[in-house]
Amino acid sequence: MNETRLCGNPDLLMSYLYDEVDPRARRDFEAHLRTCEPCAREVADLRAVRGDLAAWTPPEAVLDFRIVRGAAPRARFAWLAVPELPAWAQFAAAALVAGIAVGISGLDVNYHPQTGLSVRAGWSKPASSVPGPVAAVKAAPVQAAAMPGAEAPWKADLAALREQLRTELQPTAAASTAAPASGQTRLVASLVPMSDAEFMSRVRPLLTASETRLQREMALRIGQVVRDMDTQRRADMARVADGIGVLEGRTGAAVATQREMMNYLMRVSQVQK
Amino acid sequence: MTATDEELVARSVAGDSDSFNQLILRWERPIYALAYRQIGREDDARDVVQEAFLRAFRALPGFKGQAKFSSWLYRITLNLCRDWMRRERRAPFVQPPEGVDVDDLVSSEPSRAESVETMVTRKDLSRRVASAMLVLPDEQRSAILLKEYHGLTFQEIAELQGCPLSTVKTRLYQGLSVLRRELERRGQGPVRPEGSGQP
Repeated sequence: MNETRLCGNPDLLMSYLYDEVDPRARRDFEAHLRTCEPCAREVADLRAVRGDLAAWTPPEAVLDFRIVRGAAPRARFAWLAVPELPAWAQFAAAALVAGIAVGISGLDVNYHPQTGLSVRAGWSKPASSVPGPVAAVKAAPVQAAAMPGAEAPWKADLAALREQLRTELQPTAAASTAAPASGQTRLVASLVPMSDAEFMSRVRPLLTASETRLQREMALRIGQVVRDMDTQRRADMARVADGIGVLEGRTGAAVATQREMMNYLMRVSQVQK
Repeated sequence: MTATDEELVARSVAGDSDSFNQLILRWERPIYALAYRQIGREDDARDVVQEAFLRAFRALPGFKGQAKFSSWLYRITLNLCRDWMRRERRAPFVQPPEGVDVDDLVSSEPSRAESVETMVTRKDLSRRVASAMLVLPDEQRSAILLKEYHGLTFQEIAELQGCPLSTVKTRLYQGLSVLRRELERRGQGPVRPEGSGQP
């Protein structure tokens, strides 16, 4: 390597200054520096500048950046929302609600050959109205239990009405065996009176199933609420811990600076003495 | 065992935001130092750091690992600093070098072994260096910052600045030469260490 390329070569000078030069070039350049005063002075000056640059420090800063996944904001009572249900489940739920409503309202269904089918809710019944056949069948034992031995004046009418209804329904029930597909047959068959025990035996499983379903759903909701609360608690705890850490750091820094100030003041006061 | 940047990047791309938070923890200080030395304002430097990590996180799926993650992050930060300076239409800000504020000394954090006199000298020198850096063109200042404070190789700086290797060395040489003159002009030239004529 000749002297011209070694002298005044910024490329080589920078490689040497920052120690990114191969060993052979380093040896050659160091040999050159021993004989070339301007180059040696320049290297020394640039090293001194680098030393000054080391004094430039940025101020301390509290950096606490975090990437938080953008979870969709949840409504306050989102856990109460009914999840998406299949069509059959929605139909079953609607049927259940309708059944409960019918049970609560005391729906009264009557059929008469002249007047046809009549449906009446329990709350729309006049207080003094004549009870329908189904209601009468159910109410009679209660009345009898309340007034043992007493002959209610409407009992004869009720018995007559019952007989009449039975007589009217029998031919229709016989016809149902001949034409089982007709809508009227299905309607009449559903009006055949049943005993309380039979009614309860049919309703009880439905009620039990409904109750079980409600309990399961409630347990799911409670579990979800507990999970949400736990997640929120963990996030709050992490935030509190971070805050405490920052406070501790600041307190330590403040103590250190106070100590430095005390040292400085004591030194100044000693000089003045 | 500490995960490498590449491993953390791969996990972040797969959807693990905790891994990216580890990258933030690892690189927020150097990135803040670079941004502060570029634009000279603490609050704005913090904003630049936040924006740099946000951009990196969004662009992470497109990061194919051609360069080191840190180099990629430095490039994002330098671009943001350049945008900031253009937007603000002003040069980097530094405190005036005259005088030493005792309150400022108190608020700084000297090392335990550092005396108050040393601290005053260092703060004064720090201000003069910051002031001298103002006169450098953006490319020279960036090259010096990346080399002096972040230890990038010439090749990495060349890739980051999109210029040949020899251009990086020329920028460094010219920048250091200007700094030497500026420091001499500002009252106290660089202190040449004893026997420094020899390498």
